[in-house]
Amino acid sequence: MLHDQLAWFVAGPVLGLCAVACRALFNGRLGVTGGFSELVSKLSRGSFKFDWRGWFAIGVFAGGAVFLVLWGGPDFHGYGWMTRTFHGSAKFWIPILLVASGLLIGFGAKLAGGCTSGNGLSGTAAFSPASLAATATFFSTAIVVSFLIKAVI
Amino acid sequence: MRVRIAALAIGLVFGITLCWSGMSSPDVIRGALLFQQSYLFLFFAAAVGTAALGLALLRRRERRALLIDTPLVWTRDSPARRHIIGSVLFGIGWGVADACPGPIATQIGQGIGWSVFTLVGTVAGVYIFLRRSLPETEPAVDVKPRANPAITAAGG
Repeated sequence: MLHDQLAWFVAGPVLGLCAVACRALFNGRLGVTGGFSELVSKLSRGSFKFDWRGWFAIGVFAGGAVFLVLWGGPDFHGYGWMTRTFHGSAKFWIPILLVASGLLIGFGAKLAGGCTSGNGLSGTAAFSPASLAATATFFSTAIVVSFLIKAVI
Repeated sequence: MRVRIAALAIGLVFGITLCWSGMSSPDVIRGALLFQQSYLFLFFAAAVGTAALGLALLRRRERRALLIDTPLVWTRDSPARRHIIGSVLFGIGWGVADACPGPIATQIGQGIGWSVFTLVGTVAGVYIFLRRSLPETEPAVDVKPRANPAITAAGG
């Protein structure tokens, strides 16, 4: 039952309230990349004294695990277009593409000062011109890339 | 301590909602980016609309934070080259892997094996950026001091 998508008009406002809660409770800007950055920065120096951003990111990982335990695993197999496109020995492309995508995601989000949550949600909700420009850019880039992939495969 | 527990709880709600709205599935993301499904856009617009309304109310009341003694202030930065270049790189990665940092974390939590590769790449990308430690590394909207994030333990 819970594998049905939660209605957008419930799920969206819940995410929005998460961003409002970060601001109201401790004047924080909700962002998953900020959390990743805090974890990477501290762990690379052998420290576990994460600030709130690190604990927020740990919560997101744990949220996935809680969902898995309470409501079962994902309702899909493989990994999207990649496992439908690459079979047999061509499968070695999948890890290469995923690691390369991750590099662009991590480096790009840090350079842009946020990802879909930091710039896309928290920044646009604060009407930050930088975040509005970033969000328009990454949405249009991802749309173009998706259509390019569709045209090639 | 209270701030960290609150952040953990907000992260849990955020992660569970991402899973429940199907964002861990690369096909849901891809369906939206190919304009085959409207869900992600409605979901995203509802999230931004709710957050904008909430932040506007907070700003109007000029409140202080509830858990720490600090005023609620945030800046609105002007777009610079790094926002555009960074978002193009990010958008390429998002369009190929059909996952961004939130869903990458929930995919790992849900035990989706393939996403380990995406996470490894993302962690490496963040690490490479932090090692470069340019001065212009602050979030687009925040009140953190302008210092090197690799050595500054910012936040609560």
